[in-house]
Amino acid sequence: MADYAIFFDSSKCTACKGCQVACKCWNQLPSPLGLNANKPTHSYQSPLDLNGDTRIIIHFEENDNDKLWGVNWSFGRRSCMHCYDPACASVCPSGALAVDGETGFVRVSESKCIGCKYCKSACPFDVPRYHGAQSKINKCTGCLDRIANGGPVSINGGTGQTQAQFSVPACVHSCPPGALKFGPRDEMLRLAHERVAYLKAHEIDPSPHASVYGEDQLNGTHVVMVLKYPVETYGLPANPQVNPLTGLLGLMKPLTGLAAAATVAGLGISFLTGLGYKRDKMHYDEKKHEQVDLDTGEVLWRSDAVPGPAGDEDGEKDARPAKKGGK
Amino acid sequence: MTGHWNDFKNADVLITCGSNNVENHPESARWVQAARDKGAISIVVDPRYTRTAAVADVYCPLRPGTDIAFWGGMINYIIQHDMWQKEYVITYTNATYLIDPAYEFNVETGMFTGWDEEHQKYVTTSWGYQTAETVAPNTGAGGAFAYALRPGTPAFTPPDKLVPKRDMTLQDPQCSFNVFKRHYERYDLETVCKVCGMDSQTLEQVYRLYGQSGARDKVGAILYALGQTQHHYGSQNTRIMTLVQLLLGNVGVPGGSVNALRGEPNVQGATDMAMLVYDFPGYLKWPTAASHATLREWLEHETYSDGYYTNKPKFFISALKEWYGEHATVENDYGYDWLPKIGSLDFTTMSTFEHMDSGLIKAYFLWGMNPANSTANTKFARQAMSKLEWLVVVDWVETESACFWKAPDLNPAEIQTEVYYLPAALIYEKMGSIVNSGRWLQWRYKAVEPADLAKPDYEICDLLWKEIVRLYSTEGGRCPEAILNVKWDYHRDGVIDPRCVAMALNGYKWDNAGSWETRELLSTFGDLGADGTTACATWIYSGFYANGSARFDPSQQKVGGRSLEDKTGLGLYPGWAYAWPLNRRILYNRASADAAGKPWNPERAVVEWTGSEWATNDVPDFAFQSRAADGTVSWIPPNDRAFMMTWEQNARFVCSTMKDMPLPEHYEPFESPADNLLNGRQNSPCIMFADHPSVKRSDPAEYPIAVTTYSVVEMWQTGAQTRGCPALVESRPEQFIEMSVELAEEKNISNGDTVRVWNNRGDVKLTAFVTRRIKPLKVNGELCHVVGMIHHWGWAGSFSTGDTVNDLAPNVGDPNSFIPEFKAFLVNVEKA
Repeated sequence: MADYAIFFDSSKCTACKGCQVACKCWNQLPSPLGLNANKPTHSYQSPLDLNGDTRIIIHFEENDNDKLWGVNWSFGRRSCMHCYDPACASVCPSGALAVDGETGFVRVSESKCIGCKYCKSACPFDVPRYHGAQSKINKCTGCLDRIANGGPVSINGGTGQTQAQFSVPACVHSCPPGALKFGPRDEMLRLAHERVAYLKAHEIDPSPHASVYGEDQLNGTHVVMVLKYPVETYGLPANPQVNPLTGLLGLMKPLTGLAAAATVAGLGISFLTGLGYKRDKMHYDEKKHEQVDLDTGEVLWRSDAVPGPAGDEDGEKDARPAKKGGK
Repeated sequence: MTGHWNDFKNADVLITCGSNNVENHPESARWVQAARDKGAISIVVDPRYTRTAAVADVYCPLRPGTDIAFWGGMINYIIQHDMWQKEYVITYTNATYLIDPAYEFNVETGMFTGWDEEHQKYVTTSWGYQTAETVAPNTGAGGAFAYALRPGTPAFTPPDKLVPKRDMTLQDPQCSFNVFKRHYERYDLETVCKVCGMDSQTLEQVYRLYGQSGARDKVGAILYALGQTQHHYGSQNTRIMTLVQLLLGNVGVPGGSVNALRGEPNVQGATDMAMLVYDFPGYLKWPTAASHATLREWLEHETYSDGYYTNKPKFFISALKEWYGEHATVENDYGYDWLPKIGSLDFTTMSTFEHMDSGLIKAYFLWGMNPANSTANTKFARQAMSKLEWLVVVDWVETESACFWKAPDLNPAEIQTEVYYLPAALIYEKMGSIVNSGRWLQWRYKAVEPADLAKPDYEICDLLWKEIVRLYSTEGGRCPEAILNVKWDYHRDGVIDPRCVAMALNGYKWDNAGSWETRELLSTFGDLGADGTTACATWIYSGFYANGSARFDPSQQKVGGRSLEDKTGLGLYPGWAYAWPLNRRILYNRASADAAGKPWNPERAVVEWTGSEWATNDVPDFAFQSRAADGTVSWIPPNDRAFMMTWEQNARFVCSTMKDMPLPEHYEPFESPADNLLNGRQNSPCIMFADHPSVKRSDPAEYPIAVTTYSVVEMWQTGAQTRGCPALVESRPEQFIEMSVELAEEKNISNGDTVRVWNNRGDVKLTAFVTRRIKPLKVNGELCHVVGMIHHWGWAGSFSTGDTVNDLAPNVGDPNSFIPEFKAFLVNVEKA
């Protein structure tokens, strides 16, 4: 299998959010349309979190340093990490999430998604978001549609010549300082190590905490990062762990087969609910073909449901408080 | 810019001061980063720690409005530590020229010699040179002014050259360099820190790192934008950066220069095309009644005695020929008298609103401009606009100006102004050329049809013009020939066509019977004449659209070039777009080599004297060949004339061409929390409009907080376009004021609180971002709070609205550029 990666260098990122906007434009993801409808974030970061219509955000965090002027201003990239052994795909009962053979990215087949949200619970990076109106999970697809059209090629996002426009993910294509690149993973890792060594040894402004992220975490991810400051300041877990229970669900899949996706979902929900694993308690009514929130009785998804108005209707919307001072 | 954005990659050290370049010019990040990848050092000097500072190596704060103190200190430091580039300075600048013995700067009064109290302006003769000899203009064969005798050339007397006295040893105290050096001796580290508010260790680190670019083989780039220009001494801010670059030998060298970062609003195009009151296209002067009542006066007043501007009449007469075509003849001074002359009243932006307020201006055309939300003291501007009889707004969207009567502080019932809104096509909906900061002209093609009734600007202009002509021809009027004699033939198949305009801008041989199908296009402005044989609307663009064999195919013109070939690796890309003038990628490139013509650094070779000829990687920006009467071409060996656009052909330290100062001197902003520590005068004596009653100066006792305003990457200007893009609004949903933790504690303000910010001119509410990226500064021993506000919001638009921050900015400005002082004034802040 080919092995590609998105490279993100936090020390070159200017937090322009071009990637956020490019992702929305390419993937036709809507933004709120009402007058002053966006929730103020009280931060440079906006939106504050991923949501049903937002697959990537730039994370802003300011931390004091021992210098007289300025701060350590961490610009992080919050999006799917495209794990080597993706917990989300391993729990996905319908095959909506699966590893792409060309790149190793976790592809999304929207039509197969049954909205069970297992992936959301399983993700060690808290990435997939549920789009209530569409009853689908939404997360970064790696822009496999672009890559497939152009063929995966290495891009030098810094000073390189214009590449085939559709050969790299939209976020990578948009990045002015070349903080994002796309290419063979071993090449991206080589760049990352080179950069970290450079940052640590920098004559004027050394970064003792600089590290490569995504090489060893979870046996590796297809997003490789250079982090200038400590990992935690980028909104990332220092030591991401897959919930061991996801393995149990994975065992069930071959027993039931993927064809009967709805049944699997039903079984899976009972199974996980019984173990107290899911945060959202849901029930799948096989007769009505409805998925129901057991606490509220709300019908979350119906097989023939017409998607509602655009918007992020994740049950955990705005779970994180607005940022406090200096963030 | 004298180079280009991608030229930043050639720098050894870059300093951003007065710009937040990675945010407001995102592409600049690519090239600064490319330089850093090769080991370059980047420095950011800014009142707050910006996203640009976050990706720089060194950050140094300074109080808004104290840039001249900062740069003056750098000049002093570089000279004191002997870091300046001596061969460059002595060879290519006026360092060795002797300044008038009467020249003086009085530190007690803060005044230079020459102040005319009655007219409240400087008479600048004492800022000039001592004359060694007077040389008469050469009108003989091969002489610079031989053309003046050609038939068809209007009669004028070319100027004598006053050859300055020089002392090549720099011993004479009146040497321009010595005057310059003495001037900045007061700007020591301690004083600069007291004025600007940073600590001396950080300041010295910045001076030392940047000063290292004074080494012969090193080069440094200065990046600046509106943070330098929007002050009542903004022109001097830009000039002092030039002085630093000259001192270090960084002008004309790849990776050097004083880089004016222009953006989407297309300041470059606006200045090329003279969208400014006092300018004529191609950086010529618009005639004034006082200095240029006749064509002869214009020619005698504007033509230089030496250097390339000895040719200025050729450019101006060729432009008049384009304006008036067959009606322009030598007998009628090529129609010069039909050009309106600027009188004693000022009509720059800030004055415009005074004239509206007084009732002098009754009607107003706004073309791609939104002053009800963008000008300084917008509250006053809106009130003045409400006195208009009618207003026309041409724009993409309904801007605040297009619905100014809906402003929260105006009552529509009391406003009688009739407003016409003309929807303009987006840039993607029309063809034409654009020009960017690096002077690169590029042809863009129409991608989609304009929406609904929207039309390209040139089409709106054409319809308007035809109707004006119809009215003048049927109804007459005052001086109708000024309208009726204009050549307006930019049509193809009856439709206005930018390709015809491009040919007019490019220039061609005049032929009364000619048409756009047949006119002989010129490949260089060197072929222009002052005798009516050529027509050219904007001489600097000559050559960009000169392929007559495919005259309606822009892709076959140099402006349509898309070649990615870059033989030098310096990023010159001669086949990509067209860099005016003459496809020259680096201006003043003679200065990239030493006195003998050897590049300062062989890795940055642009031109090189091989001993017998010039080897060139770029179009030379100096006289490198001469042509004898018999047509023989010979090479001109290296000389010191590296700056051929000045009459000296050298760059200037002390200069007498600015209105306010011969050398930049620190004055405080019009509204400042501090007294001027460097001289006895608080503001520049040449500040504009400070006496207008609408200005309502804010007293520091009442308004102690220094404020600066700026943009963020997610938004453009007044936000008229960007607040119409939901994805951008989502990424920056609210307007904010940034303040220090210390000030927030003092005022009991928490992050996210709505705060009221006000002064004598206005009162706005916005969200507080409390941050350690801004810190209080110690100014002359006292704590000085600084806050910063973004200014992209207004009442118009469907997705995001907010208060107009520019209500607070003072409508005072610079005497050279008439720019307002947006970047430093006073406010107070409280929790709303």
